[in-house]
Amino acid sequence: MRPGMRLGEALATCPELELVEQDPATAEQAWEEILRRLEDAGFAVESVEPGTVFFDSKGVERLYGGLEPALKRALRAVGTAWDARVGAAERRFAALAAANVARPGQALIVSDDRSRSFLAPLPLTLLPLERARYAELEELGIRTIGQLAGLPGGAVSERLGPDGRRAWSLAGGHSTVAEDGRVQPRRPAVALHETLEFPEAVGNELTLRRGLAVLLDRLLARPERAGRPPRKVAVWARLVGGASWRRTVTLREPTADPARLRAALSSKLAELPAPALKLRLEFSQLAEHTGEQLELVAAEGEVLQGRLREGLRQVRAAVGAGGVSTVVEVAPWSRIPEARALLVPRDD
Amino acid sequence: MVTHPGSARVARAARRLNARRLNTPSPALVEAHAGGLPSRVNRQEVAVVREEWRVVDRWWTEEPVTRRYFDVVLESGENAVVYYDGDSGSWFTQRA
Repeated sequence: MRPGMRLGEALATCPELELVEQDPATAEQAWEEILRRLEDAGFAVESVEPGTVFFDSKGVERLYGGLEPALKRALRAVGTAWDARVGAAERRFAALAAANVARPGQALIVSDDRSRSFLAPLPLTLLPLERARYAELEELGIRTIGQLAGLPGGAVSERLGPDGRRAWSLAGGHSTVAEDGRVQPRRPAVALHETLEFPEAVGNELTLRRGLAVLLDRLLARPERAGRPPRKVAVWARLVGGASWRRTVTLREPTADPARLRAALSSKLAELPAPALKLRLEFSQLAEHTGEQLELVAAEGEVLQGRLREGLRQVRAAVGAGGVSTVVEVAPWSRIPEARALLVPRDD
Repeated sequence: MVTHPGSARVARAARRLNARRLNTPSPALVEAHAGGLPSRVNRQEVAVVREEWRVVDRWWTEEPVTRRYFDVVLESGENAVVYYDGDSGSWFTQRA
Protein backbone atom coordinates (compact mmCIF):
# COMPACT_ATOMS: atom_id res chain seq x y z
CA MET A 1 0.00 0.00 0.00
CA ARG A 2 1.11 3.58 -0.57
CA PRO A 3 -0.54 6.95 0.09
CA GLY A 4 -2.67 8.23 -2.77
CA MET A 5 -3.43 4.73 -4.11
CA ARG A 6 -6.94 4.23 -5.53
CA LEU A 7 -9.28 2.29 -3.26
CA GLY A 8 -10.09 -0.30 -5.92
CA GLU A 9 -6.42 -0.86 -6.67
CA ALA A 10 -5.63 -1.20 -2.96
CA LEU A 11 -8.42 -3.75 -2.45
CA ALA A 12 -7.28 -5.70 -5.51
CA THR A 13 -3.70 -5.79 -4.19
CA CYS A 14 -4.72 -6.73 -0.70
CA PRO A 15 -8.26 -8.25 -0.49
CA GLU A 16 -8.14 -8.64 3.31
CA LEU A 17 -7.62 -4.88 3.65
CA GLU A 18 -9.69 -3.39 6.47
CA LEU A 19 -11.08 0.07 5.74
CA VAL A 20 -11.16 2.38 8.72
CA GLU A 21 -13.46 5.39 8.72
CA GLN A 22 -11.88 8.77 9.42
CA ASP A 23 -12.28 9.67 13.06
CA PRO A 24 -11.14 13.30 13.43
CA ALA A 25 -12.95 13.78 16.74
CA THR A 26 -11.11 10.88 18.43
CA ALA A 27 -7.80 12.11 16.98
CA GLU A 28 -8.49 15.60 18.31
CA GLN A 29 -9.47 14.18 21.70
CA ALA A 30 -6.29 12.08 21.90
CA TRP A 31 -4.23 15.15 20.96
CA GLU A 32 -6.03 17.25 23.57
CA GLU A 33 -5.20 14.60 26.21
CA ILE A 34 -1.51 14.80 25.25
CA LEU A 35 -1.57 18.61 25.50
CA ARG A 36 -3.25 18.42 28.91
CA ARG A 37 -0.62 15.96 30.18
CA LEU A 38 2.11 18.35 29.00
CA GLU A 39 0.34 21.26 30.70
CA ASP A 40 -0.03 19.19 33.88
CA ALA A 41 3.76 18.70 33.79
CA GLY A 42 4.22 22.49 33.66
CA PHE A 43 4.81 23.06 29.93
CA ALA A 44 2.98 26.06 28.44
CA VAL A 45 2.15 24.62 25.02
CA GLU A 46 1.38 26.10 21.62
CA SER A 47 -0.34 23.49 19.48
CA VAL A 48 0.36 23.98 15.75
CA GLU A 49 -1.58 20.96 14.47
CA PRO A 50 -2.35 17.51 15.87
CA GLY A 51 1.12 15.98 16.23
CA THR A 52 3.17 19.18 16.50
CA VAL A 53 3.53 21.30 19.60
CA PHE A 54 5.96 24.03 20.65
CA PHE A 55 6.84 25.03 24.18
CA ASP A 56 9.38 27.31 25.82
CA SER A 57 11.55 25.21 28.11
CA LYS A 58 13.02 28.14 30.08
CA GLY A 59 10.24 28.19 32.65
CA VAL A 60 10.59 24.52 33.59
CA GLU A 61 14.36 23.96 33.34
CA ARG A 62 14.90 24.87 37.00
CA LEU A 63 11.98 22.70 38.02
CA TYR A 64 13.43 19.58 36.40
CA GLY A 65 17.15 20.38 36.84
CA GLY A 66 18.18 21.43 33.34
CA LEU A 67 17.11 21.32 29.70
CA GLU A 68 17.66 17.63 29.04
CA PRO A 69 15.71 16.38 32.10
CA ALA A 70 12.91 18.79 31.18
CA LEU A 71 12.73 17.36 27.65
CA LYS A 72 12.76 13.80 29.02
CA ARG A 73 9.87 14.80 31.29
CA ALA A 74 7.97 16.11 28.25
CA LEU A 75 8.51 12.79 26.45
CA ARG A 76 7.24 10.90 29.51
CA ALA A 77 4.17 13.18 29.65
CA VAL A 78 3.30 12.28 26.05
CA GLY A 79 3.54 8.58 26.89
CA THR A 80 4.99 5.51 25.24
CA ALA A 81 1.92 4.80 23.13
CA TRP A 82 3.15 7.44 20.68
CA ASP A 83 6.55 7.61 19.05
CA ALA A 84 7.18 11.08 20.39
CA ARG A 85 10.37 12.96 19.49
CA VAL A 86 11.55 16.27 20.79
CA GLY A 87 13.96 18.85 19.43
CA ALA A 88 15.35 21.86 21.26
CA ALA A 89 16.98 24.96 19.81
CA GLU A 90 17.06 28.71 20.23
CA ARG A 91 14.77 29.14 17.23
CA ARG A 92 11.50 27.40 16.40
CA PHE A 93 12.53 26.23 12.95
CA ALA A 94 15.74 24.61 14.16
CA ALA A 95 13.80 22.94 17.03
CA LEU A 96 11.22 21.59 14.59
CA ALA A 97 13.95 20.32 12.27
CA ALA A 98 15.69 18.64 15.22
CA ALA A 99 12.44 16.93 16.26
CA ASN A 100 11.97 15.75 12.67
CA VAL A 101 15.32 14.00 12.52
CA ALA A 102 15.35 12.70 16.13
CA ARG A 103 14.66 9.00 16.75
CA PRO A 104 11.41 8.03 18.56
CA GLY A 105 11.88 8.71 22.27
CA GLN A 106 14.98 10.87 21.68
CA ALA A 107 15.50 14.47 22.79
CA LEU A 108 17.83 16.20 20.33
CA ILE A 109 19.35 19.48 21.46
CA VAL A 110 20.91 21.82 18.91
CA SER A 111 22.93 24.70 20.32
CA ASP A 112 22.74 28.06 18.57
CA ASP A 113 26.35 28.02 17.31
CA ARG A 114 25.83 24.51 15.84
CA SER A 115 22.42 25.26 14.37
CA ARG A 116 23.65 26.26 10.88
CA SER A 117 25.84 23.19 10.42
CA PHE A 118 23.07 20.98 11.79
CA LEU A 119 20.49 22.35 9.31
CA ALA A 120 22.83 22.34 6.28
CA PRO A 121 22.49 18.66 5.18
CA LEU A 122 18.75 18.42 5.91
CA PRO A 123 16.25 18.25 3.01
CA LEU A 124 14.43 21.32 1.75
CA THR A 125 11.03 19.76 2.53
CA LEU A 126 11.44 20.82 6.17
CA LEU A 127 11.10 24.45 5.07
CA PRO A 128 7.60 25.97 4.93
CA LEU A 129 7.33 26.26 1.14
CA GLU A 130 4.72 25.30 -1.42
CA ARG A 131 5.21 21.90 -3.08
CA ALA A 132 5.87 23.54 -6.47
CA ARG A 133 8.72 25.55 -4.94
CA TYR A 134 10.59 22.41 -3.85
CA ALA A 135 10.40 21.10 -7.40
CA GLU A 136 11.57 24.46 -8.76
CA LEU A 137 14.56 24.48 -6.40
CA GLU A 138 15.39 20.85 -7.18
CA GLU A 139 15.44 21.69 -10.89
CA LEU A 140 18.05 24.33 -10.03
CA GLY A 141 20.10 21.63 -8.28
CA ILE A 142 19.28 22.79 -4.75
CA ARG A 143 18.31 19.87 -2.54
CA THR A 144 19.43 20.76 0.97
CA ILE A 145 18.83 23.58 3.41
CA GLY A 146 22.55 24.39 3.38
CA GLN A 147 22.58 24.83 -0.42
CA LEU A 148 19.67 27.28 -0.17
CA ALA A 149 21.32 29.16 2.69
CA GLY A 150 24.48 29.53 0.54
CA LEU A 151 22.64 31.54 -2.15
CA PRO A 152 22.49 35.35 -2.06
CA GLY A 153 19.31 36.47 -0.25
CA GLY A 154 18.39 39.04 -2.91
CA ALA A 155 18.50 36.47 -5.71
CA VAL A 156 16.31 34.04 -3.74
CA SER A 157 13.86 36.82 -3.00
CA GLU A 158 13.70 37.81 -6.68
CA ARG A 159 13.20 34.23 -7.87
CA LEU A 160 10.87 32.87 -5.15
CA GLY A 161 9.20 35.94 -3.68
CA PRO A 162 8.58 36.71 0.02
CA ASP A 163 7.97 33.05 0.97
CA GLY A 164 11.30 32.08 -0.55
CA ARG A 165 13.05 34.91 1.24
CA ARG A 166 11.54 33.74 4.54
CA ALA A 167 12.65 30.15 3.85
CA TRP A 168 16.16 31.44 3.05
CA SER A 169 16.24 33.36 6.37
CA LEU A 170 15.14 30.24 8.26
CA ALA A 171 17.68 28.08 6.43
CA GLY A 172 20.58 30.39 7.21
CA GLY A 173 19.54 31.27 10.74
CA HIS A 174 19.17 34.94 9.67
CA SER A 175 15.53 35.06 10.71
CA THR A 176 14.49 37.45 13.43
CA VAL A 177 12.42 36.17 16.31
CA ALA A 178 9.42 37.92 14.74
CA GLU A 179 9.92 36.00 11.46
CA ASP A 180 10.51 32.69 13.19
CA GLY A 181 7.71 33.37 15.63
CA ARG A 182 7.66 33.38 19.40
CA VAL A 183 6.04 30.50 21.23
CA GLN A 184 2.55 31.66 22.09
CA PRO A 185 1.18 29.31 24.73
CA ARG A 186 -2.51 28.57 24.56
CA ARG A 187 -4.79 29.36 27.45
CA PRO A 188 -5.47 26.07 29.22
CA ALA A 189 -8.76 24.79 27.83
CA VAL A 190 -11.82 24.39 29.99
CA ALA A 191 -13.31 20.92 30.01
CA LEU A 192 -17.00 21.63 30.03
CA HIS A 193 -18.97 19.13 28.04
CA GLU A 194 -22.22 17.19 28.15
CA THR A 195 -23.10 14.05 26.18
CA LEU A 196 -26.38 12.55 25.11
CA GLU A 197 -26.52 8.91 24.04
CA PHE A 198 -29.47 7.91 21.88
CA PRO A 199 -31.10 4.46 22.28
CA GLU A 200 -30.90 4.13 18.48
CA ALA A 201 -29.33 6.11 15.64
CA VAL A 202 -31.03 9.46 15.03
CA GLY A 203 -31.03 11.17 11.65
CA ASN A 204 -34.06 13.36 12.18
CA GLU A 205 -32.88 16.95 12.44
CA LEU A 206 -35.71 17.99 14.74
CA THR A 207 -34.80 15.31 17.31
CA LEU A 208 -31.14 16.27 17.06
CA ARG A 209 -32.03 19.93 17.62
CA ARG A 210 -34.02 18.98 20.70
CA GLY A 211 -31.09 16.92 21.95
CA LEU A 212 -28.79 19.87 21.38
CA ALA A 213 -31.15 22.17 23.31
CA VAL A 214 -31.09 19.74 26.28
CA LEU A 215 -27.27 19.61 26.21
CA LEU A 216 -27.12 23.40 26.02
CA ASP A 217 -29.41 23.81 29.05
CA ARG A 218 -27.30 21.31 31.01
CA LEU A 219 -24.03 23.06 30.12
CA LEU A 220 -25.37 26.52 30.91
CA ALA A 221 -26.45 25.24 34.33
CA ARG A 222 -22.95 23.94 35.19
CA PRO A 223 -21.53 25.80 38.22
CA GLU A 224 -17.93 25.63 36.82
CA ARG A 225 -18.97 28.20 34.24
CA ALA A 226 -19.22 30.79 37.04
CA GLY A 227 -21.47 33.00 34.93
CA ARG A 228 -18.96 33.30 32.09
CA PRO A 229 -20.47 33.05 28.59
CA PRO A 230 -18.94 30.62 26.05
CA ARG A 231 -16.77 32.07 23.30
CA LYS A 232 -16.01 28.84 21.41
CA VAL A 233 -18.43 25.92 21.22
CA ALA A 234 -17.97 22.50 19.60
CA VAL A 235 -20.63 19.98 18.55
CA TRP A 236 -19.46 16.40 18.24
CA ALA A 237 -21.34 13.29 17.10
CA ARG A 238 -20.50 9.59 16.98
CA LEU A 239 -22.01 8.33 13.73
CA VAL A 240 -23.45 4.99 12.68
CA GLY A 241 -20.58 2.90 11.34
CA GLY A 242 -18.07 4.17 13.90
CA ALA A 243 -17.02 7.45 12.26
CA SER A 244 -17.19 10.75 14.09
CA TRP A 245 -18.11 14.30 13.16
CA ARG A 246 -17.20 17.61 14.78
CA ARG A 247 -17.89 21.27 14.11
CA THR A 248 -16.52 24.22 16.06
CA VAL A 249 -18.28 27.56 16.26
CA THR A 250 -16.49 30.69 17.48
CA LEU A 251 -19.06 33.24 18.55
CA ARG A 252 -18.53 36.81 17.43
CA GLU A 253 -19.86 37.94 20.79
CA PRO A 254 -19.72 35.52 23.71
CA THR A 255 -23.24 34.88 24.94
CA ALA A 256 -25.05 32.69 27.45
CA ASP A 257 -28.43 33.35 25.84
CA PRO A 258 -29.81 29.86 25.01
CA ALA A 259 -31.81 31.16 22.02
CA ARG A 260 -28.75 32.78 20.40
CA LEU A 261 -26.59 29.75 21.07
CA ARG A 262 -29.25 27.44 19.62
CA ALA A 263 -29.47 29.64 16.52
CA ALA A 264 -25.68 29.52 16.07
CA LEU A 265 -25.38 25.76 16.56
CA SER A 266 -28.56 24.20 15.17
CA SER A 267 -27.68 24.92 11.54
CA LYS A 268 -24.52 22.80 11.94
CA LEU A 269 -26.64 19.71 12.60
CA ALA A 270 -27.88 19.83 8.99
CA GLU A 271 -24.29 19.00 7.94
CA LEU A 272 -24.29 15.64 9.76
CA PRO A 273 -23.35 13.09 7.09
CA ALA A 274 -25.04 10.10 8.78
CA PRO A 275 -27.40 9.30 11.69
CA ALA A 276 -25.87 9.91 15.11
CA LEU A 277 -25.63 7.51 18.05
CA LYS A 278 -24.18 10.05 20.44
CA LEU A 279 -24.22 13.84 20.57
CA ARG A 280 -21.82 15.94 22.62
CA LEU A 281 -21.62 19.66 23.22
CA GLU A 282 -18.44 21.31 24.51
CA PHE A 283 -17.71 24.81 25.70
CA SER A 284 -14.11 24.86 24.43
CA GLN A 285 -13.41 28.41 25.55
CA LEU A 286 -15.16 30.72 27.98
CA ALA A 287 -15.01 34.51 27.99
CA GLU A 288 -13.42 36.21 30.97
CA HIS A 289 -16.23 38.65 31.63
CA THR A 290 -19.52 37.77 33.28
CA GLY A 291 -21.60 40.74 32.19
CA GLU A 292 -22.29 42.86 29.15
CA GLN A 293 -22.21 46.65 29.03
CA LEU A 294 -25.62 47.85 27.92
CA GLU A 295 -26.44 51.27 26.52
CA LEU A 296 -28.14 53.78 28.77
CA VAL A 297 -29.86 55.48 25.81
CA ALA A 298 -31.07 53.26 22.97
CA ALA A 299 -29.72 54.26 19.56
CA GLU A 300 -32.16 55.75 17.09
CA GLY A 301 -32.35 57.87 13.94
CA GLU A 302 -29.05 58.50 12.16
CA VAL A 303 -27.02 56.45 14.68
CA LEU A 304 -29.24 53.42 14.19
CA GLN A 305 -29.16 53.85 10.39
CA GLY A 306 -25.36 54.11 10.53
CA ARG A 307 -25.11 50.86 12.49
CA LEU A 308 -27.44 49.13 10.07
CA ARG A 309 -25.32 50.31 7.12
CA GLU A 310 -22.17 49.10 8.87
CA GLY A 311 -23.78 45.70 9.59
CA LEU A 312 -24.82 45.35 5.94
CA ARG A 313 -21.31 46.34 4.84
CA GLN A 314 -19.88 43.57 7.02
CA VAL A 315 -22.32 41.03 5.57
CA ARG A 316 -21.32 42.08 2.04
CA ALA A 317 -17.64 41.82 2.94
CA ALA A 318 -18.19 38.33 4.36
CA VAL A 319 -20.35 36.78 1.63
CA GLY A 320 -19.55 38.95 -1.38
CA ALA A 321 -21.66 41.04 -3.75
CA GLY A 322 -25.29 39.98 -3.82
CA GLY A 323 -25.14 39.01 -0.14
CA VAL A 324 -27.69 41.68 0.78
CA SER A 325 -31.02 41.82 -1.02
CA THR A 326 -34.35 43.62 -0.73
CA VAL A 327 -37.69 41.89 -1.12
CA VAL A 328 -39.68 43.67 -3.85
CA GLU A 329 -43.31 42.72 -4.21
CA VAL A 330 -44.21 42.45 -7.89
CA ALA A 331 -47.54 40.62 -7.83
CA PRO A 332 -48.66 40.15 -4.22
CA TRP A 333 -52.13 39.15 -5.38
CA SER A 334 -50.87 36.20 -7.44
CA ARG A 335 -52.08 32.72 -6.58
CA ILE A 336 -48.67 31.37 -7.55
CA PRO A 337 -46.37 31.88 -4.52
CA GLU A 338 -43.10 32.33 -6.47
CA ALA A 339 -44.65 35.05 -8.67
CA ARG A 340 -45.40 37.38 -5.75
CA ALA A 341 -41.97 38.81 -4.89
CA LEU A 342 -38.38 39.15 -6.10
CA LEU A 343 -35.10 39.32 -4.17
CA VAL A 344 -33.21 42.27 -5.64
CA PRO A 345 -29.50 42.63 -4.71
CA ARG A 346 -28.60 45.91 -2.97
CA ASP A 347 -25.24 47.50 -3.52
CA ASP A 348 -25.80 50.79 -1.64
CA MET B 1 -32.94 32.21 -13.67
CA VAL B 2 -36.67 31.48 -13.91
CA THR B 3 -37.10 27.75 -13.97
CA HIS B 4 -40.71 27.49 -12.90
CA PRO B 5 -43.83 28.74 -14.62
CA GLY B 6 -44.48 32.42 -14.07
CA SER B 7 -45.44 35.52 -15.92
CA ALA B 8 -43.09 36.66 -18.64
CA ARG B 9 -43.29 40.22 -17.27
CA VAL B 10 -41.95 39.16 -13.85
CA ALA B 11 -39.25 37.07 -15.52
CA ARG B 12 -38.12 40.06 -17.60
CA ALA B 13 -38.06 42.30 -14.50
CA ALA B 14 -36.02 39.70 -12.61
CA ARG B 15 -33.46 39.48 -15.42
CA ARG B 16 -33.17 43.26 -15.69
CA LEU B 17 -32.60 43.70 -11.94
CA ASN B 18 -30.36 40.64 -11.64
CA ALA B 19 -32.92 39.44 -9.11
CA ARG B 20 -34.04 36.05 -7.86
CA ARG B 21 -37.57 34.89 -7.27
CA LEU B 22 -38.54 34.51 -3.65
CA ASN B 23 -40.05 31.24 -2.49
CA THR B 24 -39.30 29.14 -5.55
CA PRO B 25 -40.47 25.53 -5.25
CA SER B 26 -37.94 22.77 -4.72
CA PRO B 27 -38.35 19.11 -5.71
CA ALA B 28 -39.70 16.88 -2.94
CA LEU B 29 -39.67 13.12 -2.43
CA VAL B 30 -43.34 12.27 -1.94
CA GLU B 31 -45.18 8.95 -1.83
CA ALA B 32 -48.90 9.27 -2.40
CA HIS B 33 -52.02 7.17 -1.79
CA ALA B 34 -54.15 6.04 -4.71
CA GLY B 35 -56.33 9.15 -4.30
CA GLY B 36 -53.34 11.44 -4.65
CA LEU B 37 -53.03 12.35 -0.96
CA PRO B 38 -49.39 12.35 0.20
CA SER B 39 -48.48 9.54 2.64
CA ARG B 40 -44.73 10.24 3.05
CA VAL B 41 -42.81 13.47 2.46
CA ASN B 42 -39.02 13.41 2.30
CA ARG B 43 -38.92 9.98 4.01
CA GLN B 44 -41.20 11.06 6.85
CA GLU B 45 -44.74 9.77 7.45
CA VAL B 46 -47.54 12.29 7.03
CA ALA B 47 -49.50 12.49 10.30
CA VAL B 48 -52.31 14.83 9.14
CA VAL B 49 -53.31 16.54 5.91
CA ARG B 50 -54.52 19.89 7.25
CA GLU B 51 -55.67 21.48 4.05
CA GLU B 52 -55.87 20.88 0.34
CA TRP B 53 -56.38 23.37 -2.50
CA ARG B 54 -55.84 23.67 -6.21
CA VAL B 55 -54.25 26.40 -8.29
CA VAL B 56 -55.17 26.43 -11.98
CA ASP B 57 -53.89 29.53 -13.70
CA ARG B 58 -52.41 30.84 -16.95
CA TRP B 59 -54.20 28.18 -18.94
CA TRP B 60 -54.35 30.68 -21.76
CA THR B 61 -50.54 30.91 -22.00
CA GLU B 62 -47.80 28.50 -23.06
CA GLU B 63 -46.89 28.03 -19.41
CA PRO B 64 -50.10 26.86 -17.75
CA VAL B 65 -50.09 26.18 -13.98
CA THR B 66 -51.97 23.17 -12.64
CA ARG B 67 -51.09 22.40 -9.03
CA ARG B 68 -52.71 20.45 -6.21
CA TYR B 69 -51.41 21.78 -2.89
CA PHE B 70 -51.40 19.95 0.47
CA ASP B 71 -50.63 21.51 3.83
CA VAL B 72 -49.41 18.55 5.92
CA VAL B 73 -48.04 17.84 9.40
CA LEU B 74 -45.26 15.23 9.46
CA GLU B 75 -44.74 12.65 12.20
CA SER B 76 -41.88 14.76 13.60
CA GLY B 77 -44.31 17.62 14.18
CA GLU B 78 -42.90 19.66 11.31
CA ASN B 79 -45.28 21.50 8.96
CA ALA B 80 -44.79 21.26 5.22
CA VAL B 81 -46.59 22.40 2.09
CA VAL B 82 -46.19 20.18 -0.96
CA TYR B 83 -47.86 20.24 -4.35
CA TYR B 84 -48.30 17.91 -7.25
CA ASP B 85 -47.58 19.58 -10.56
CA GLY B 86 -50.10 18.29 -13.08
CA ASP B 87 -48.03 19.33 -16.09
CA SER B 88 -44.70 17.77 -15.14
CA GLY B 89 -46.16 14.97 -12.98
CA SER B 90 -43.69 15.82 -10.17
CA TRP B 91 -43.92 16.80 -6.51
CA PHE B 92 -42.52 20.01 -5.08
CA THR B 93 -42.33 21.66 -1.68
CA GLN B 94 -42.95 25.36 -1.18
CA ARG B 95 -44.02 27.84 1.47
CA ALA B 96 -47.53 28.82 0.34
